[in-house]
Amino acid sequence: MALSRRTFIEKLAVVGGMSLAMAGMEALGFGFASAQAAPPTLTGRGKGTKVVVLGAGLAGMTAAYELTKAGYEVQVIEARSFAGGRCQSARKGFTHTDLIGNTQVCDFDEGLYINHGPWRIPYHHRSTLHYTKLFGVALESFVNDNDASYVYMEKGAGPLTGKAIRKGQIASDMRGYAAELMAKAAAKGGLDLPLTPDDRNKFIAYLVSQGRLSPKTLAYGPTEGRGFDIPHGAGVDPGPGKLSSPFALADVIHSDTWKALEPLGDHEQQLTMLQPVGGMDHLAKGFERHVGQLIRYDTEVQKLVQDDKGVEVFVTGKDGKTGSIKADYCICTIPLSVLRNLDIAVTAPFKAAMAGPAYAAVNKIGLQMKRRFWEEDHFIYGGHITTDIPGIGSISLPSTGWQGQKGVLLGYYAFGAEAARISAKSPADRAAFAVAAGQKVFPQYAESFETAFSFSWHLAQYNLGGWAEWSEDARATAYPVLCEPNGRLYLAGEHLSYLGGWQAGAIESAWQQIGRLHARVNAA
Amino acid sequence: MRVLFAGLVLAIAAPAFCQNTGQSQFVSTCSACHQVTGKGIKGAFPALAGDPFVLGDPQALIATVLNGRGGMPAWKGELDDAQMATTITYIRSAWGNAAAPVTAAMVAAERAKTAPTTTQSLQAH
Repeated sequence: MALSRRTFIEKLAVVGGMSLAMAGMEALGFGFASAQAAPPTLTGRGKGTKVVVLGAGLAGMTAAYELTKAGYEVQVIEARSFAGGRCQSARKGFTHTDLIGNTQVCDFDEGLYINHGPWRIPYHHRSTLHYTKLFGVALESFVNDNDASYVYMEKGAGPLTGKAIRKGQIASDMRGYAAELMAKAAAKGGLDLPLTPDDRNKFIAYLVSQGRLSPKTLAYGPTEGRGFDIPHGAGVDPGPGKLSSPFALADVIHSDTWKALEPLGDHEQQLTMLQPVGGMDHLAKGFERHVGQLIRYDTEVQKLVQDDKGVEVFVTGKDGKTGSIKADYCICTIPLSVLRNLDIAVTAPFKAAMAGPAYAAVNKIGLQMKRRFWEEDHFIYGGHITTDIPGIGSISLPSTGWQGQKGVLLGYYAFGAEAARISAKSPADRAAFAVAAGQKVFPQYAESFETAFSFSWHLAQYNLGGWAEWSEDARATAYPVLCEPNGRLYLAGEHLSYLGGWQAGAIESAWQQIGRLHARVNAA
Repeated sequence: MRVLFAGLVLAIAAPAFCQNTGQSQFVSTCSACHQVTGKGIKGAFPALAGDPFVLGDPQALIATVLNGRGGMPAWKGELDDAQMATTITYIRSAWGNAAAPVTAAMVAAERAKTAPTTTQSLQAH
């Protein structure tokens, strides 16, 4: 029997999962680059197959969008009155009541917003960028690193403690001193380098360049790259200006400020990133424009049963009315933090695996400032203030609205125990806490503050945490179990990816699961 | 939420959680999720009042507070042995709970078994 291309690919999918099927399609010249770059091509039969999708976040809407295109009959169940899941932005009128009962109505000025959920997109999240392009979501640069921004450390020691210091100065000094020590040792033959004398000179040249060292003495000292105490300019006054002087090496080391110089340890963190113009929720709205008619809002999932013929999902509407939806398959994107409390018909090992990951306590707060003092008085255009003030994490300055009158900055972005602690405060006290901390860094902070909107993801109903956190152990044992379908139920979301907490993880997880679902439907 | 506060900014400069009684420690540290009533939030955060785990083996309870579990963050980097002992003793004796106190030495013994805190990246997501 001749093996048709399609049958061959389906067999690959059954045996080796979607990545092998995609590799096979690639080899056969179907031509898409990788699982990350584009949705799976769902050729074949989809028509007439009913899929119920639980959750209208990015994973759920991705599944709904792609499956509908392939002819599936899709219905999406969403507990909230709006789509997007964690892809939310707070602007004037946005209302949130947390689990403690604090209700906030955002009253930022028109045009201002805070992305209290996802907020930045790296260039290599091609899945997220696939949909921003497809849905015409305008992007702008997100400044993820800025040498002009401050480092403020108060737990260290020495004269730099409790002072706002520009990151570029710390970077220049630490790199300069380190390069000087290495260059001098190398010049004396003191480093055991596997290099020829000629190579060694090139290595020293590299260190001179990196550390802005004197080529003659190999010493680190005042350089233009570090900046000026009196900026250079026109004429003879200021004329050449006056270069700034490096801090003493010991002072920088004791201050802990060097901790802000972490390299790109995380592949996701890039120096410049991207953000949708006007708020991250424009991405959610892009999806909603295409699949909104499939979404049943204000509807909570209570229970899921399944047999070898199909699934039935029992729901309760906002009005208290109950009902059920029957389908051939279910794609469930409800976070495990929530799902593990629901009555879901799955096998015992699958149920046990759902307890695997922890969920992160995450706080954010947007502070509306009546004046962009960080730009006007401090010349900082975007980026993060790194600080060790407990409960703050970082203060981030907006990468939009440059030189406008007002702006909303991120007053804290904190995780774990520090976040849980601050979230116990009332919204007014959270704002007061954030403003008092920012005042240590910027003298204009408190006098410029107008209004705040805070969000704690662990206190958000339907989320109970910012993202899944997998221990090595749970990743090895529970995670692979949950990546497999359980009967007719497929889980999808950031929690089933190695891009945890990123929108790309949600999208790519959905892509992978619908690819496998489709292969199964076509193999049947 | 428009907050108008002139004096408030200065007033909170000395945070309330400097106080070290079990109750104030609990309120500032744990109450966001477990609630000041100790009743938790159904379907989200477990109740501590009358909870067999809270009233049971102190070692397991201490280990959970140190290392976190499920949606609960690890507190080992936040609370020292004495603070943790005071807080755990409080939850074992409040709201009608009546279990033996926990000492700083017991916390120290459990802490010695935990993995050291790894360096966290400054930025996440």
